This record gives sequence, C-alpha cells and structure tokens, in this order.
Amino acid sequence: MRMRSLTRRLIVGVLLAELLCAAGFAVVAIVHEMHVRRRAFDIMLRGRADSLLGAVQDADDPEANVTVDRSELVLPAEDIYEVLSPTGRRLGESENADARALRGLAASQREAQREKYFEIEVGRVHYRVLRTEGVRVIDRLENGGTRRPVTLIYGAPTRHLFREVVEAARFYVLTSVLLLAVTGAVLAWLLGRWLSPLRELALSASRVSVTSWEFEPTENALRTRELNPIILSMRQLLAGLREAFERQRRFTGDAAHELKTSLTLLKSSLQLLTMGRRNAEEYEAGLRDLTIDIQRMEELTERMLALARIEEEGEKPAEVVDLGMTVRSLAQRLKPLAEARQVTIGVIGDGACLVSVQASDAEILGSNLLMNAVQHSPAGAEVTVTLTARNGTAEMRVGDRGDGIPESALPHIFERFYRTDASRSRQSGGTGLGLAICKAIVERSRGTIAVESGMGRGTVIIVRLPTARG
Amino acid sequence: MRVLIIEDEIRLAANIAAALRQGAGVAVDCAHDGREGLALAEAEHYDLLLLDLMLPGLDGLSIVRRARARGDRTPILVLTARDERSHVVTLLNAGADDYLTKPFDLGELIARVKALIRRGKGAADSLLTVGRLSMNAVEQTVRCGRLLIELSPTEYRILEYLMFRPRAIVSKRELLEHLYDYTWEHHSNVIEAHVSNLRKRLRAAGEEAMVETVRGRGYRLEAPEPKL
Repeated sequence: MRMRSLTRRLIVGVLLAELLCAAGFAVVAIVHEMHVRRRAFDIMLRGRADSLLGAVQDADDPEANVTVDRSELVLPAEDIYEVLSPTGRRLGESENADARALRGLAASQREAQREKYFEIEVGRVHYRVLRTEGVRVIDRLENGGTRRPVTLIYGAPTRHLFREVVEAARFYVLTSVLLLAVTGAVLAWLLGRWLSPLRELALSASRVSVTSWEFEPTENALRTRELNPIILSMRQLLAGLREAFERQRRFTGDAAHELKTSLTLLKSSLQLLTMGRRNAEEYEAGLRDLTIDIQRMEELTERMLALARIEEEGEKPAEVVDLGMTVRSLAQRLKPLAEARQVTIGVIGDGACLVSVQASDAEILGSNLLMNAVQHSPAGAEVTVTLTARNGTAEMRVGDRGDGIPESALPHIFERFYRTDASRSRQSGGTGLGLAICKAIVERSRGTIAVESGMGRGTVIIVRLPTARG
Repeated sequence: MRVLIIEDEIRLAANIAAALRQGAGVAVDCAHDGREGLALAEAEHYDLLLLDLMLPGLDGLSIVRRARARGDRTPILVLTARDERSHVVTLLNAGADDYLTKPFDLGELIARVKALIRRGKGAADSLLTVGRLSMNAVEQTVRCGRLLIELSPTEYRILEYLMFRPRAIVSKRELLEHLYDYTWEHHSNVIEAHVSNLRKRLRAAGEEAMVETVRGRGYRLEAPEPKL
C-alpha cells in the first residue's frame, strides 16, 4: 500500500496555489508590459517620425517643392520610412531594402485618419509602422512661409519590443520559481515543527501496552485543538479496552483457580485413598466421592465453555419461544430433584408468553434460575415463577424463600465465580457461573436481569425480555 | 502440633486435614472463609497456617498481611493456583513463608508442613535429639540410642512438642492447645494420662531423659548431663 503524506499534500497544495497565482500574475504583468512597451514604442515611432519631418527641407527647384535632407538625420539604420507629397510623389525614403515594402502602402492607407499605426511583415522581419501627416513650413521669412503638407510613413522593427517583453516575462517567471522554492522549503520546515504534537501523540500512544495502560499525551498535544477529539476517543477506547482486558484477566485467573482447585481435590482424594491400607467399603466410598468430584469438574468446565461460547457468539438471530411452556416443562423435569429437597415449584402465568430469544438460551436461562431457587430453598418451601407480558416486554420473576442475599453482595451476584456464602454454595454444588451465564444470555437477547433480596426474605430474580412480534 | 487450614473447597480442606493428621501427625482445624479463618488464627495457638489464596470474605494475601501486622510469627504456607513470579514475590514479601501451586502433591504438602513447623520451632534438622533420645520427624520414630521406642500418636506428639523445647516448662494448657483441634474436649486429665504412659514407655526403654512434672506449672523434658 502506498503511503500518503499529509505534509507532502499540504506543501503541494500550497505550491500549486502559489503557482497558479504566479502564472496569473505573470500573464497580467506580461499583457500590461506589452501594452506599456507598445505605447512607448509608438511614442518613439512618433518621435522618430517627427525628427524625419524636421529633415524635410526646401528643395532647390522652381516649384518650391520639399525634399528630405538626410544629411543631419540620426535614425537607426534598420528603420524604414517614406516621405510622400500630397500628390503621392515620393519625396524620400530610407536606404535599406525593406523600405520598398512601404511603397503603395501610403496610397492604400489614404482614407484612414490622420495618424495610424499598423504592422507589416517584410521578409521575416516584423515592423510597426506609423503613417502620419505633417506640415512643413518653408521660407518662413518670405510672406510668412509656404505650408507644404507631407505624408510620413515610418516603421521600426518590433524585434526589440518583443525582446524586452520576453525579458520582462523571464524575470517574472524566474522570480516566481525562486519564490516557490523558498515557500516550499519554509513550508516543509514549518510543517515539521507544527506537526510535532502529532508525533508526540503517536509516541505517547505507542507507550501504552497491556502491562502499562498509562496514556499521557504531552502538553503540546493536549493544547492542539485538532488533536483533542483524537485524544478523547483514544482515552475512551483505552479505558474500554483496559476494562475488557482486566475483566478477561480476572476471569482467566478465576477459571484457573477453580479448575486447579478441582484438580487438586481429585488428586488429593486419590492420594489420600492410597496413603494407607483401606478396606473395601472405604475404597468404595472414596471412589463414589471421586465420581461426584469429577461430575462437578465436568459441570464447571461445561459452564465455563458455555459462558465463553455465549460471549463469543454475541447477538444471534432469535427464535420465537413460549417462555411459559419452557418454564413449565423445566419445572416438570426438575420435579424429582425438588421433591428430594421437599421443595415445590409453582408457575403462575397468563396464557402464552412469547419472547424472541434462542430456544437453547431460554432453556439454559430457565433451568439455571430454577435450579438456583430450588437449591436455596428450605425444606417445605415453594419456588414461584411468575410470568407477565405487557408493553412489548415479558417479565419472569423466579422467587425462593431462602435466606436471602446480604445487601453488600447484591451488586456482585451476576459476576463470574462470585459466591455469596462460599461454604453453602460449594456444598450445594454451585460453580459460581450460573447467574453470570444468565446475565450473558439475557443481555445478548437485549433484555435485563435484576435481583431483589433481603436477609430472611428470600430472593427474586427478575428477567425482562422483549416479546416476539406476530 | 496444631495446624489451621483456611480453604473454601470443603472437600479439599477435609482431604488435606486427613492427610496432615495421618502423614504429619498434627491436629487440624478447618475454616472455610477468610474472616472465619482470621478470627480462628487470632483466637487459637497454631503452629502453622495453611491457606488458599482465593477465599470468600477475606483473601489469603490480606490474611497474611493482617496476621503479620499483628505480630503473629506463626509459619504460613499458601496454596495458590497462580505461579507467576511477581505474584509469588508479592506473597512472600507480605510475610508468607512458603507456597504450593495447585494441583500439588499431598506428599510434598506434608513434607513442607513438617519442615515449616520445625523451622517455626527453631530446628533446622528433621532429627531432634535430647540427651540419648532422638526423634526422626520424617520416619516419625523415637529411639533411645539405637533402640526403637513404640509410642502412640498422641504420646509421640507430646514428646515431639517437649523435644522442640527441652528444659522449658510447658503447661498442660499449652499442650492441649497445640495437640488437639477445637473439636476435642479440653480435659487436662487426658494429657496427664498420656504423659504417664509416655513416662512408662521411656523408662521401659531405659531412657534417662525424663518428662518431669513441675507442680502447678506443667511439664519439662529433662535430660541428664552426659557423664564424662
């Protein structure tokens, strides 16, 4: 994957904008320069034409004609000109060959105004030509002089004009390029400095690890407005990750403790059996205990795997399950166990209670809650399950008449491996995972689970699930 | 010797207790949660505390810290499911004397319990000697010179306790506290009967070291100065 550099993009962007500006400026400047130079050129043409007019002299002929006296004229040799009388007689012309191109021009331009500029091309040389009319007063001393109008056609090659414009354009372009280079360098340096908070942020982020969750952005990064949303979301992300990680770590630790304790129990039971000589009854009793221990370990492993599976799967497409029917069939199935403890199970519910939940989940949820209630009930008591459905929510209350849960333990009873009274629940075979599994199931079905309990008042677990539509 | 086990897995605690009674010849009490365990440890006189690290009520590390803060010098052996180094270091620094990771071997547990009790009494060797009398804690045998003396478990425990503290006066009450678990009825005449039997057996083996009665105060194990 090709990497993109924001710095490079910024610099390229700024330089492009600057280049565009420079180009626009150069074009305007060149047009302006052209205009100014052309006017200057025209003025120069006029000036030269005027000095040519000055060279128109009294000719030494009887008609008192005029002629061009070239002896005192100082004009560039490459210029071309022609002086014509009103009758069209050529009074004089420049000596270079290109002047011949002017012939006939005066006639064609006759209808034009008194003064006109135009451009012609002779060979490969471009000329700008001024056609003007002037009056030469001769013999001023005699009768106020005689006025002789003449037509002047004066041209000068535009080569110089263009050379000057090109020169000016080159100056502009060169200056622009130099400016671009300087801007680029300064920009790169400045961006390098200004982006340092970003680099510092990256550095502080890279210091975060599973062993050290400290994320301390530098003062510089904290004071950068654009970085604030990033820092905020990183903090939130890290806090969430840390919590999840700690939870996972605690679970792993707890799970290891439970499994290893179970293993230790098995190992010690076996070693104890072989420590001394035993009779057949003792061996039998020992093996019975071992079988129970293995069953408990099996249950623990299964529940841990169930919890892991439920959490790993996340939300799954739900089915429509009649919670009432599920609970009633579970109650029927648990009857022998409940009877052994002299406990009865009563289900109170009106009609069908349809909820959208996985069928297997509903089964696990119901059996966990019922088993819990039965195990915590004193002999002769009743476990009641109340089912109601209204406003799109189904509610199942599983209540027992047990000792209840101390208030300090209430916030923790849905935590994994949490046991309110260790000795008692150990005795009753609890793994400390039942309610955690219930919570995971309810939460992935978008429901809630809560507990109401008081010492001596018994415990009620309240599960609320969204009812199925249709 | 008397040991307190604090372990919330009741069957495991029972197994350990049985193994220690049988293999280490000690009296054992069990507690199944942290608070109960700490209360017992504070109220009774134990020669060793054996505790699980993860306990309901009060965790093992806190029990170790509290016991040490109170100035309790009883040896503490911790059972843990975790053997990461930092964890073990924390445990030992808090004042635990030794640890065993689950699942452990009962034989190893017994050996460590014996060693810790011995250390707690200031003896490094598993062979205790007073005069010509020698006691092998590993074999759980008592000899006078090379002659083996047959003793009942209670007699053995009384002698062991006295041999840890030769020439010191040990009251009947102290013997009761260290030799019997709390399920036992505390009758001092039980001790008297056992001491009387112990004396007879030692005399029968020709042992010169004697369990003397210090009137109104208790017993003392007196060994005659070796004759030059």
